[in-house]
Amino acid sequence: MSLAPADRSRGTQPPLLLPRRGARLSIFEIVLLLICVVLALVGIPQNLQDIAVLAFLWAGLALAWNIAGGYAGLISFGHAAFFGVGAYTSTILFVGFGITPWLGIWCSGLLSAALGTVLALICARLRGPFFILSTLAAAEVVRIAALNWATLTGGPEGLSIPPVAGLANMVFASKGTYVALMLAFLVAVYAITKWLEGSRYGYYLNSVRDDADAASAAGVNPLLVRTVAMALSAGLTGIGGSLFAQYFLYLDPTFIISPEVSFQFALLAAVGGLGTAVGPVLGSFLITPMSELLRSYLGNQAAGLHLVIYSALLIIVMLYFPGGIAGALARLSRRGGGS
Amino acid sequence: MATLGQLVLSGIFIGGIYALMSMGLTLIFGVLRVVNFAHGEFLMLAMYGAWAMTRLLGLNPYLAAIAIGPAMFLFGAIVHQLIVRRALDKPHLVVVFATMGLSIFMQNVALMVMTADLWDVPPIFSRSVEVGPFYFKAELLVGFAVTIACTAILQWLIRTTYLGKAIRATVQDGEAAMLMGIPVPRIFLLTFAGGSALVGLAACIMMPLFSVFPTVGLNFVLIAFVIVVLGGMGSIEGALLGGICIGVVQSLSSYYVAPAYGQMFYFILFLLVMVFRPNGLLGQKGSATIGIND
Repeated sequence: MSLAPADRSRGTQPPLLLPRRGARLSIFEIVLLLICVVLALVGIPQNLQDIAVLAFLWAGLALAWNIAGGYAGLISFGHAAFFGVGAYTSTILFVGFGITPWLGIWCSGLLSAALGTVLALICARLRGPFFILSTLAAAEVVRIAALNWATLTGGPEGLSIPPVAGLANMVFASKGTYVALMLAFLVAVYAITKWLEGSRYGYYLNSVRDDADAASAAGVNPLLVRTVAMALSAGLTGIGGSLFAQYFLYLDPTFIISPEVSFQFALLAAVGGLGTAVGPVLGSFLITPMSELLRSYLGNQAAGLHLVIYSALLIIVMLYFPGGIAGALARLSRRGGGS
Repeated sequence: MATLGQLVLSGIFIGGIYALMSMGLTLIFGVLRVVNFAHGEFLMLAMYGAWAMTRLLGLNPYLAAIAIGPAMFLFGAIVHQLIVRRALDKPHLVVVFATMGLSIFMQNVALMVMTADLWDVPPIFSRSVEVGPFYFKAELLVGFAVTIACTAILQWLIRTTYLGKAIRATVQDGEAAMLMGIPVPRIFLLTFAGGSALVGLAACIMMPLFSVFPTVGLNFVLIAFVIVVLGGMGSIEGALLGGICIGVVQSLSSYYVAPAYGQMFYFILFLLVMVFRPNGLLGQKGSATIGIND
């Protein structure tokens, strides 16, 4: 696939000015990965397994969002649509047709990617707030459709997956297996992000994000670049939606396609650091345990307190560290290394 | 035929109220080039205020507007000074995420303080108004009249007063306006606070018609966004036109198709407008695709 019509002129020669960045893992990333793998293998204490599953899953989803939102500058508040379509696709295939979720998740990914392509073709010309609002509206259309198309989606009652444990069902009795599954998803999305960062296509993404006119003048097709980014991001989000369904075994349409879910992806990525690979992971590792612990300790007496803290944190991070946690860390390490 | 007329007229009146709720948003967008994602929560806060004044102090919600308007003006000014002002010189997604954070913050504080229950106030007028074969809730007619009055007053304010001229100069070229001695930061502050006061007024008009609950803003803010984009962001009379369009679409589709799909229609309408007329019906040329807020 040729993304840039100007490619033919330099078939043999790699562009001189582009440093190969991000292709290698930093020490910090390797340590983080090792810690996660060791934890998943050795086993996480029972009461923390829930948190680990969610932290890994949300980290993967925030990374998937970040491909569109961070690298391509397509701030989408409609990713819940892809998440929901993914969750419904594999669940309907499994419950209705007996197709194993191991195949179903790929169908989820493809269908979500197709939806992402359509959305990008409609909205990718729009900029700034117009793009954001269009994605929000598109997700609402999908949500209302899912709520009302009861023969397919079960309508407002939602869908349940029979809790029969088994490898073929992708339903596991032990939460430790889910921890490994979600970690595999996270590592896969992380690897794709890292590959993207170092690849030619990653540079196209950034160039289109930073100045679409200049990118276009340099021979990059902004619409195509944006569409591919959106499709990739949507497809990965769809797969994440299937995994979410396999873990909770119940789909509540008022939650899974809600604006809250879309905001969640965006907020985790933004707090962690947009357009960085490690940022969304750090964002999820920080916020998911915090909100889960607050939720379980405070329970119903203070419904919403975790979101109050979380949103206050978001405002502060955005105003004082627009680069997120990853940006702040990079600044710290530069300062430390420079002196 | 009478049903159709009734539906269209009700749609126009309810659309007028939606337009009133969207005017603050379009004003703020037009001047500051900022989308306030917490707009719906401003409405929610003001509705709780109107509810409290009605239920606890026994005031008429329309009278409560005298207190709610200035209170929301002050609240808007505080939010502007604490959050929006600091985000203006940063990439636009900073202000998007900051107002989004504010929106979640306010929703959940409301949830903790007021619980998830629905609150409402008793109707103000005991009977509907009968015009020929049509019946209307009197509260709807009052709301529509207030919307028309607000549109006219805002137009007058922006066209003729010194403040309005300063606002228009700021919109056209902020730097040149600053060089001409216009205090641009103060114009931003006044606009943001004024837009918030308009939401306060809208809340008092809406309180007799709708219940208030912590996530009420989310329902209305989506309608407000659709209206503002449909009318062309920053255009006051566009908001009125957009509001009426949405009101009529909602009213017709919920009668002829299904109430549940009513919402879907205006989101589809919104997407169609974005595809075919991204500047809205009366908006500035190219505002959606040249990225004025980038």
